[in-house]
Amino acid sequence: MANRIPSFLLARSTAGSFKRGTGKVNVPFLERGIGHLAGLIRNGYAQWECSSQRGLFQRIDARVKVLFLLFFILIVSLKRDVLPETCIWIFVFVLALVSRLSILKVYRRVLFLGFVFGFLVALPSAFNVITKGETILPIVGLPQSYNFWIYHIPAEIGITREGIHTVAMLTLRVVNSLSLSFLVLYTTPFHEIIRALKVLKVPDSFLIIITLCYKYIFIFSKTVEDMHLAKKSRIVRELSPAEAREWIAGRMAFVFRKARLRCEEVFKAMIGRGFSDSVKFYGFRKMGLSDWCAAILLFFAGILFLFM
Amino acid sequence: MRLKKVSYSYYDNLPALSDVNLEVNEGDHIAIVGANGSGKSTLLQIMGGLKHPAAGKFLFRETEVSERSLREKGFLRLFRASVGYVFQDSDVQLFCPTVLDELLYGPLQLEISEEEGLKRACEVMQMLNIEQLKDRPSYMLSEGEKKKVAIGSVLAMNPQILLFDEPTNGLDPRTQVFLVELLLALNESGKTIVLATHDLGLVAELGARVVVLSEDHRIESTGSAEEILGDQNLLLRVNLIHEHVHLHGKTKHAHLHSHYLFHKH
Repeated sequence: MANRIPSFLLARSTAGSFKRGTGKVNVPFLERGIGHLAGLIRNGYAQWECSSQRGLFQRIDARVKVLFLLFFILIVSLKRDVLPETCIWIFVFVLALVSRLSILKVYRRVLFLGFVFGFLVALPSAFNVITKGETILPIVGLPQSYNFWIYHIPAEIGITREGIHTVAMLTLRVVNSLSLSFLVLYTTPFHEIIRALKVLKVPDSFLIIITLCYKYIFIFSKTVEDMHLAKKSRIVRELSPAEAREWIAGRMAFVFRKARLRCEEVFKAMIGRGFSDSVKFYGFRKMGLSDWCAAILLFFAGILFLFM
Repeated sequence: MRLKKVSYSYYDNLPALSDVNLEVNEGDHIAIVGANGSGKSTLLQIMGGLKHPAAGKFLFRETEVSERSLREKGFLRLFRASVGYVFQDSDVQLFCPTVLDELLYGPLQLEISEEEGLKRACEVMQMLNIEQLKDRPSYMLSEGEKKKVAIGSVLAMNPQILLFDEPTNGLDPRTQVFLVELLLALNESGKTIVLATHDLGLVAELGARVVVLSEDHRIESTGSAEEILGDQNLLLRVNLIHEHVHLHGKTKHAHLHSHYLFHKH
């Protein structure tokens, strides 16, 4: 082997020393993002898994929590006033507090998602172009009003009282739905949720898809992170955004191929272990007195909000 | 390379390394051994500048390797050109359309002329005996071939220090033997070799300086391969060998055992 080593490998590496102040390397946004994405996914789901703290909600049976989630999301969607929505928000916040959740971590996510998918999406309806009503904040004045397609554009465009109400309602609904979902997800181990869904007669095919997706997220994020590190180990200069895009496109194809192969392998492994279209769980623990008490209290709290 | 009291943890609460001190000098060949989850790969990734210590320092030629220093053009170039990293999973390392592109990627990054790059790529392919694969995409290669291409892609950059993560994992015996010969030849030619493995057979064959990581993520011991492999209590303590009971004919027989190339009785 020794005499097959190429001569350039026997020579010392040409990288001898370096001069300080030769400039900084800017890592393209896409390139930086892929490493962060993997970390984010993994951290997010690891928190989901880490729901074993001894808080109030963690002690309640998963079936009660899943029903509570469905019931309250229904209430949140039915309410048409800001006050009950705000009360529900405070109620969920208190539950998160007594469940010893990291309020900062949970609400940072809730508020970010609520801002993007609630506030920003609903923002246009604050204007009198979409929501008619009393204009309380004029923004643009036009020489005359126009009719465009199904819209009437008034001479004075502004924010209406009814528009603000609509935006507030939509944002609160999104924030409340997210807070409720995060409260249940952060206080219930994943396998308990799946078991609860099975007991509640959710179709097996749906449960299999959720379970496999959940497991695959970890494998996927690990693969993405490793690919990112492998690339990083061979980068000696600044990459252009075009090069970063090219690499990411290639890697997406790789991940797709790998996911397809993995899917086939997992299915074969399931078949090999006797899988036949139905998910089987061993016995669910019996609901205790505390679970029944929690279920009744949460039910009456829901009824209270419903008629508020 | 010097690691001073390096610690690292995942998600801020799963420790991977605790207070690790290690010095790697030019021409060394070092094997980092330990049970699964002892932090071998994390240590290697810190030495490859791919992860950065949560506490402590990692110095390369007396310059601290950090996210910040690796943003300096000059240092990034020096570090990446000097330190090559071969990943355990070759799939993640191969991202170019063909084997030849893969081998050319590093030299072109280093701004070596295309002619010289091609010459290097051809020589490396000859050495690794993969010339016939040069136009193949990486997904049409066997595991052993992928490993050879991954090694070749790093060697084409001619780094002075080579880091290998579990190099023999999933390889057939012939490729394993080839790899051992290659590592020995590279070391003889002056390269510094650091590998993370739990393959004690490989450690014995390489005769490397051994760094043993314990299950609580600290350096338990360092020494020559002979010293470390001869210390059964140490290997038992760090979970690299275990007591094994089986039948010899009709007699029940118990002995210390490791799942490696040698099977001690």
